[in-house]
Amino acid sequence: MLMLARRVVAALGFAGMTAALFRLRGQGGVAQQQGGWRELTDAELVGR
Amino acid sequence: MPSSLDAEVIPLRGEPVGYSVAVVGLGTTGAHVVKQLLATEPDSRPARIGLVDKRPERTSAAIAAVRTANTAAGSRHRDDTAQVAVTTGRPHDPADLFHTSNVAILASDCGTHAALAIDALRSGCHVVSMSDNPDEIDDLLALDSLARHHERSLVVGAGMVPGLSCLLARFAGDQMDSVHAINVAKAGTAGPACARQHHRALKSTGRDWVGHRWEYRRGGSGRDLAWFPEPIGPRDCYRGALPSPILLQRQYPDARRISARVSATRRDRFTSRLPMLRKPHRDGGPGAARVEVRGRRDGAIETIVLAVAAFPSESAAAVSVEAALSVLAGMAPPGAQGLAAWSNPGVVLSELRRRGVAIFAYGDDRFDSKTG
Repeated sequence: MLMLARRVVAALGFAGMTAALFRLRGQGGVAQQQGGWRELTDAELVGR
Repeated sequence: MPSSLDAEVIPLRGEPVGYSVAVVGLGTTGAHVVKQLLATEPDSRPARIGLVDKRPERTSAAIAAVRTANTAAGSRHRDDTAQVAVTTGRPHDPADLFHTSNVAILASDCGTHAALAIDALRSGCHVVSMSDNPDEIDDLLALDSLARHHERSLVVGAGMVPGLSCLLARFAGDQMDSVHAINVAKAGTAGPACARQHHRALKSTGRDWVGHRWEYRRGGSGRDLAWFPEPIGPRDCYRGALPSPILLQRQYPDARRISARVSATRRDRFTSRLPMLRKPHRDGGPGAARVEVRGRRDGAIETIVLAVAAFPSESAAAVSVEAALSVLAGMAPPGAQGLAAWSNPGVVLSELRRRGVAIFAYGDDRFDSKTG
């Protein structure tokens, strides 16, 4: 039983360290959450 | 009765004007058409608005709106140049009204526009139709020779989709050297008549232009996730009996694919084969229109995505009024055509901005007006 608990703690710790590594050292950045749309201006519509 | 146009010179926009507009159909969108006419700058405002509807209470409400606007204008202007006169026509025979009008805006139920357009054209009146029924669009386009014979313009599909979507497609297409594909998507409805047409469209066969020929596809098929501007956001859209490909194909016959889709929920699709189970909303907004144009520019394949998010009833009314004003200004040649055929989409879109219709582009690319 104690062995199982140690394995669970070790597995969770390893998973946590791996996640922290990706979170802190990852290169992917954060996906765009909103936006992308912008309003057109008169200058673009009619060249004024 | 002789046509009023025989004795009048149609004035240019920006100059003092004295033209008359007939508005046929005063439902949700038609009422907004009247409001948009009254919201026009004083020097471009009509001198007279003719009103026709089969329900007297709607006509009374529109007359009250004009009276309120006149009162407000009277407090701002000492003379009566900003005042708008009103006449009413007979619901089942508005021809008399057409004889004394320069342009007729048809905002009545689908299925009535072709006959009304014939009457109006024969009366020497320009016509702006807001129909979004594909069969009726075909019928209206078939009136091209009649419109040319009378040297009048028949603007077909002057609403949000089609209409505003056609202007967006043309504006994006003008940025390209060649257009390969156009995809139109819409969300939301205007008034009850528009909601009923939306319901019919989902269960009816749609027309897509694929590989230089028409393909007929089952309504409710072809799910596509379209991302509209906020507050609409992402919506699943499906094929249906939508007229946009018919109007856009005339302008871009060499495009490989032109398609249109309409947003719908699972319930909309499930119940599309049944009669409408509940009364439509008085106004089915807010809504949105999105146009994606893919083509070649400077040797590279590019995609331009333009959109609007607005109440369909309000934006459709703004489009129809701007179309009418542009026709009177001589910006549209005689004949039957959609707004994609107009060579000045940026000018009309700019005027729509002034009326509160914001035009959005996806991405950071800047556009150059080629029509200024």
